[in-house]
Amino acid sequence: MTRTTEPPATPAKQVAASPRKAALSEGKKAERKLGLLLCAPAALIMVAVTGWPIIYSFWLSLQRYDLKFPDDREFIWFDNYVAVLSSPYWWNAMWVTVLLTVVSVAIELVLGMALALLMHRTLVGRGIVRTSSLIPYGLVTVVAAFSWRFAWTPGTGYLVALMEEGSAPLTEKVPSLLIITLAEVWKTTPFMALLLMAGLALVPDDLLKAAAMDGAGGWQRFLKITVPIMKPAILVALLFRTLDAFRVFDNIYVLTSGSNGTSSVSVIAANNLIRGLNLGIGSTMSVLIFIAVAIIAFVFIKVFGTAAPGSDEGGRR
Amino acid sequence: MGATRRYRLAAGVGAAVLAAGTLTACGSGDQGITVNVYKYNQENFQAIVDNCNAKAGGRYKIVYNKLPREADGQREQMVRRLAAEDASMDVLGLDVTWTAELAKAGWIREFTGSVKSQVEDGTLRTPLETATYEGKLYGAPDNTNVQLLWYRSDLVPTPPKTWDEMISMAEALVAEGKPGRIVGQGKQYEGLVVLFNTLVNSNGGKILDENGTKAVVDDKAVEALAALKKLATSKAIDPSFSNAAEDDARLAMEAGRAAFQLNWPYVYSAAQKKPDFAANFKWAPYPALGGGESKVTVGGINYAVSRYTAHPDESFEAVLCLRSAENQKIAATKDGVPPTIRSVYDDPEMDQAYPMKDAILQTLENASSRPASPAYQNVSTVISTILSPPADIDPKPTADRMRKELQDAIESKGVLP
Amino acid sequence: MAGISGAETKAKRIGWGLLNTVAVIYALVPVLWIVSLSFKSSATLTDGNFIPREWSFDNYRNIFATTEFIRALVNSIGIAVIATAIAVVFGTMAAYAIARLDFPGKRLLVGISLLIAMFPQISLVSPLFDIERALGLFDTWPGLILPYITFALPLAIYTLSAFFREIPWELEKAAKMDGATPAQAFQKVIAPLAAPGVFTTAILVFIFCWNDFLFAITLTSTEASRTVPAALSFFTGSSQFEDPAGSIAAAAVVITIPIILFVLFFQRRIVAGLTSGAVKG
Repeated sequence: MTRTTEPPATPAKQVAASPRKAALSEGKKAERKLGLLLCAPAALIMVAVTGWPIIYSFWLSLQRYDLKFPDDREFIWFDNYVAVLSSPYWWNAMWVTVLLTVVSVAIELVLGMALALLMHRTLVGRGIVRTSSLIPYGLVTVVAAFSWRFAWTPGTGYLVALMEEGSAPLTEKVPSLLIITLAEVWKTTPFMALLLMAGLALVPDDLLKAAAMDGAGGWQRFLKITVPIMKPAILVALLFRTLDAFRVFDNIYVLTSGSNGTSSVSVIAANNLIRGLNLGIGSTMSVLIFIAVAIIAFVFIKVFGTAAPGSDEGGRR
Repeated sequence: MGATRRYRLAAGVGAAVLAAGTLTACGSGDQGITVNVYKYNQENFQAIVDNCNAKAGGRYKIVYNKLPREADGQREQMVRRLAAEDASMDVLGLDVTWTAELAKAGWIREFTGSVKSQVEDGTLRTPLETATYEGKLYGAPDNTNVQLLWYRSDLVPTPPKTWDEMISMAEALVAEGKPGRIVGQGKQYEGLVVLFNTLVNSNGGKILDENGTKAVVDDKAVEALAALKKLATSKAIDPSFSNAAEDDARLAMEAGRAAFQLNWPYVYSAAQKKPDFAANFKWAPYPALGGGESKVTVGGINYAVSRYTAHPDESFEAVLCLRSAENQKIAATKDGVPPTIRSVYDDPEMDQAYPMKDAILQTLENASSRPASPAYQNVSTVISTILSPPADIDPKPTADRMRKELQDAIESKGVLP
Repeated sequence: MAGISGAETKAKRIGWGLLNTVAVIYALVPVLWIVSLSFKSSATLTDGNFIPREWSFDNYRNIFATTEFIRALVNSIGIAVIATAIAVVFGTMAAYAIARLDFPGKRLLVGISLLIAMFPQISLVSPLFDIERALGLFDTWPGLILPYITFALPLAIYTLSAFFREIPWELEKAAKMDGATPAQAFQKVIAPLAAPGVFTTAILVFIFCWNDFLFAITLTSTEASRTVPAALSFFTGSSQFEDPAGSIAAAAVVITIPIILFVLFFQRRIVAGLTSGAVKG
C-alpha cells in the first residue's frame, strides 16, 4: 500500500500477465490483481484463524480478569503491565530466556551451517546423512526432552554415568541451563541446516569455479560468494529460530519444570494463564513476549539489512 | 492455474472430513440419557462403568471420557470446558485440591439431602474434608492416598519414628559407606508442596487460616522449613533431590542408592517386579515431626457434578454407584488406589493387594489436607517456587517471603512465578 | 569449505566419510537411546545401560494392544498431510506474488504473517477453543488443519519468498527466447529451481504439524481427531505416579518412522548445485 509509487523492480510482467506489453497501466493492473489473488487464500486463512484471538489477548491484557474471581473483572488500563514488569520472577525468566536464545541460536547457526555444507557437498551416503541428521527435528519435543532427562538423571541415565560420582546436573541452575541448551541445539540444528541447505542449492557451481580459477581460497569463496547469495535463507532461518527459541517451553517443562530458577518467560506465562487462570496477567505476559520478539525481528531486519520479503529491492540483480 | 485446482481439491477433502467428523459425533447420541464421566486414564475403570451401567438398567448410560495423565492437563481441560459452559460434561473426577476453586467459581454442584448422607456414611474423615468447601459438600471421595516411609530392612533393622531420627540413621549409614540415602520429592512442583504441607501439619503449624483467606505461615511452619532444610542439606540426601518427582525417587531407591524413601504406596507394587529388591523393601508410618504423630497430606480423587449438566439426578446417582464400596474394592485391588470407605479395608481380598493397609489406614485416620483456597493453584505455585531448591531455605526470611507472596496469591494479585 | 567438485582424491573421500560419521553419530546417539528405552523390559528400563540387557517387545505390544494409538496415528498422518499440502500450495502462491509481483497490501501481508509467527500460541488456544466450539469444528480434523495451516504459513511464505527472490528468473526469459512455450519454460527451468525451496518447506511444515502438542491437546477431546503427541499424554504407567517411559519411547519410535519416510522421499528433490550453464543458450 505504501509503496505503489515505487517502480516494480522485478522483471516480472512477462510471466505475470497480459501479453500486451505496450499497455503498461493495464499490465500493472493485471499484475496487482494476480498478486492479490495469489495472496488471498493465505491471508484469509491466517486472519480468520488468528485475528480475533490476537485482538482479544490485547484486550484481556488491559483488564483485571481472573477466571476464579469473575466478579472482580474490570478495566484497569496498564496496571497488569506494571505488575509484570516490576516482578523479579519475570525478569529472572527474561534473562534466562535471552541467554538461552542467544547461546543456542548462535551455536545452531554454526553447527547448522556446517551440517548444511556437509549435507550439500557430501557424495558418500547423502541420503543417509540427510535423513539421519533430520531425525532429531522430527522427534516429538516432549519425548526428546524426556529422554534427555532420563539420560541425565543419576541411576537411570548413561550420560550422568560419565560424570563424577554423585553429580546430579539437573539440580543446579547452570548445569540445568547447559542441558536445556544442549537439548534445544540438538533438536533444532537440523531445522537451521535444512533451510541453509536449500539456500546453498542456489549457489551456482560455475561461479565458485570461476572464483577458484581467479585464485580465491575456500574460505574466501565461502564468505564472498556463498554467504551473500545465501543471505536471505540465512536470515529467514535465524529469524524463525530466534522467534521459536525465545518461546522455549517444552524442554524446560520436562527437564526441570523451572526448578532452581530455570523458568523461561513462556513457563511463567503458562503458570499464570493456564494454571493460575489469570487471563489478565497471562495475556499481558503474552503481549510482552510478543513485543520482545518483535523487537528482535526488527533488529534483525534493520541490522542485517532488508530481509523481509516485500520490503526489498526485488529479485536478483 | 494448477494451484487453484489443487485448492478446490483440498477444500473438498476438508469438507468431506468435516462431514465425516460430524457423522461420528452424531452417531453416539441416541435417545437415552448419557452421563459423561471425565476422569484420568485409570486402567480398569471401564469395568466399574460397566457395572454401574448394568445396575442402571437402561435408565442412563455412563460413558467414560479419559483425561490426560498429568494433573495439570486434566484440570486445564475441565476448566476450559466449564468456563465455556459445556453441557456435555456431567461427572468430573477432581484432584482433591481443586474442590475450592471449582466450588467458588460455581462450576460444580453441592451434594445435599440423601445423596449427601449416603456419601458421608462410612467415609473416612480427611478425604471428606477435601471435598468440602465453606462447610458444604461438593464432592464424593473416590480414592485417597497417603505417603509412607519406605525403607530397606537389610540396612535398617528398626524404622525411625521421627524426622531427625531418620536423618541421623541415614547419615550414619552413609558414613559407613552404605547406600543409606534418603529420597523424596524436592522438584519445583506439587510434590514439594505435599512434603512441606505434611511437615507443617505434623508440627502443628498452619500455612493458611481456616477459611483459606489469609496467609499465616506461623512459627511452627518456620520449624517445618528448618526441618526441610535439614533434610535437603544433610549428607544423606540423594543428590538429585531438588529435581526429583515421585518416580525419580522410586527409581533412585530401586537402583540401590537409598535406604529411605518418602512416597505413595504405588512403590510397593512397582517393587514387586524386582524380587531381590522387594524382599527387603518394607514400610513404616511417616516419620513424625514435633513430638506427636505425623499428619500426612492426603491425595486422591473426588467426583463432582458439573453445574452445566442436563441430567443432575442421574449424575448424582452415577457418582454414588461409581464410588460404591464394591467398586472401590475393584479399583483398590486392580488399579492400586486406596479406598475412601472405611469398611473396604476390612475385606479379606485387600490383604493381598495391600499388605501395608493397616499403615495406610492408621495414617489416613490422622491425615491432613492441603490448604483449601479457590486460588490453590496460585498457592501451590508460590510455595513450590519459594522452596526450590530446598537446600537454599533460610527458615525465617523464607517464611516471611512466603507469607507475603501467598497473601498476594490468594487474592490473585500480582504475578505468579 | 565450499570446495569445488573435481577429482576427488582418496584422502578427501575419507575426510568426507569421517565428517559424515561424526554428523550421523551426533544426530543419532540420543535417538538410539530412545530406541533402547523402547526395547527395555520394565525391570531393566531404569538401569542406565545404553544397550538393553534384556530385549523385550512389551512396550510395542502395549501401545498396539488397543486401537487408541492406531487411531491417533491415522489422525496424525491425515491431518499433517492435508495441512502440509494446503499450506505449501497457499504459501507458494503468496510467496511467488511477494517475490515477483508488485501489488498493494504486500507489506501488510508480510507484516501480518510475521505477527502471527511471533504471537505466543499459548494465549491463542483458549479463544480458538471457544470459536471452534461455536462453529462445530472442535474435535474434528478441520479443527486442527486450519490452525496448522495458519501457523505454518508464515514460515512457508518467508522461506519460499526468500528462495524465489534468488531464483534467476531471467533464465525463463532466455528459455522462451530459445523457443520454449511458457509452460515448458516453467516446467523445465523454473520448477527445478524452485523445487528445493518447496520441498524444504514441505518437510518443515510437515514436521511442525506432526509434532504439535498445544493445539492437539486443546482442540480435540476424543479419538475422532486426537493426534499422537496428544495421545502420548494419555498413556499411563502401571499406576498413577509411574512414568510410562517405555511405552512413550516405543510410541516415539513408531511415529518417527513416517517422518523418516517423508524426509527420505523428499530430500532427493533438494538437488544440489544448480548449474546455470546448463540452460544458457
